[in-house]
Amino acid sequence: MSPDSPDLPSLLSRVALRDRSAFERLYRATCAHLFSVAFRILRNEQRADEVLQEAFMNIWHHAAGYQPAQGAPMTWMINIVRNKAIDTLRSGKAEQAATTELDDHALEVADDTLRGPQQQFDDSLVRARIDGCMGGLQATQRQALALAYYRGMVHTEIAAALNTPLGTVKGWVRRGLDQLRACLEAAGVRGT
Amino acid sequence: MNYLQPERLDRLAREYVLGTLAGPARRRFERVLQASPVAATAVGRWRERLSVLDLGIVPLQPPVSNWAGIEARLFPPAAPERRSSGWWRWLSGGGLGGALAGVLLCAVLLRSEPGLVGLEPQRDTLPASYVGLLLDTQDRPTLLASSRRQGRVLTLKMLQPLAVPPGQVAQLWALPQDGGAPFPVGALPAAGTAQITLPDASEALFAKVSRLGVSLEPHAARAGDAPSGAFVLTGHCVKMW
Repeated sequence: MSPDSPDLPSLLSRVALRDRSAFERLYRATCAHLFSVAFRILRNEQRADEVLQEAFMNIWHHAAGYQPAQGAPMTWMINIVRNKAIDTLRSGKAEQAATTELDDHALEVADDTLRGPQQQFDDSLVRARIDGCMGGLQATQRQALALAYYRGMVHTEIAAALNTPLGTVKGWVRRGLDQLRACLEAAGVRGT
Repeated sequence: MNYLQPERLDRLAREYVLGTLAGPARRRFERVLQASPVAATAVGRWRERLSVLDLGIVPLQPPVSNWAGIEARLFPPAAPERRSSGWWRWLSGGGLGGALAGVLLCAVLLRSEPGLVGLEPQRDTLPASYVGLLLDTQDRPTLLASSRRQGRVLTLKMLQPLAVPPGQVAQLWALPQDGGAPFPVGALPAAGTAQITLPDASEALFAKVSRLGVSLEPHAARAGDAPSGAFVLTGHCVKMW
């Protein structure tokens, strides 16, 4: 994912063989990206911390089950983190104790360093070189996708956030994904 | 419902990966995924497509304690000689003292989240608890104290022997965060693990307790007593849930 990243597939295969030093290197190489994924969904450092720990425990236990055909190692790991974060977000455990006021401070600091979902969405499209193609979508359509993917929002939450009827939001999301698929196929990036 | 009808499967797969599939429908689809290679392939394709949205991730460093927590949970120290690796070293290395380090360290030891997706073994999770890790005057971890949130039993585990002069008792105290008077909790075992019965649920006793301390007393303390000397062990008391 990052230019200086070590060989993640080989690290992951060594983790599957219970190589703890490979596990630590895998962690060091990916933890900041994965923590960011969890944090932007949960908006809470303590819970993101927890989700990241669980995700890496999962990675340790299930590394042997990783198959390259399922996608790049980073995609596989991001998926684990996203699913855990989404489940935590929706588990109704929002009242989990925030142990100290230090956490609140850390949250503010971290929050400042994260750009909004829209910005991340646009940056991603530029890096994938499909920004031109996706430019055909209205800003609100892109925003709906960004809120779903980066914040873990469901249709009703996006509708409330954007003050838009539910049916309209569902249409935006559907057309946004159709457009993404079309743009990727046109670009030959991931012409599945 | 036939989940594998192609159009329906594609719709479910994209909503699952995007995250907009929620509630019972998400759970049901996850079960379908486990059993159906066709569904797994459809999800894999959408995951690959949507992974372009990860390209703009702005890295954010997790708390320094995060890795220590993973190590402590995956590879719990079984014997004192393990102290040279991982979180023991991090702990005893000093320089990270203070409340934050204590809270974060303890936070890695116990947690309360129930298994979320069933992706991990149940043994990876621990129940809602109070926990304290007490260090001696050389900052060596010496005593681990833990109790279930609503439990009336406190488990004390000596991580290394504590020298107690003959005729004296190593007495554990709870120190309220508001600076109130310490109250006695129980006496330490000489070695190994012991369980002491609490006079009330740990939630009632420890909710306002921020630190634990151990002093040497001529006899086991009773309610209303105060420590007669300096603490030989101290540490933070943290709740986990």
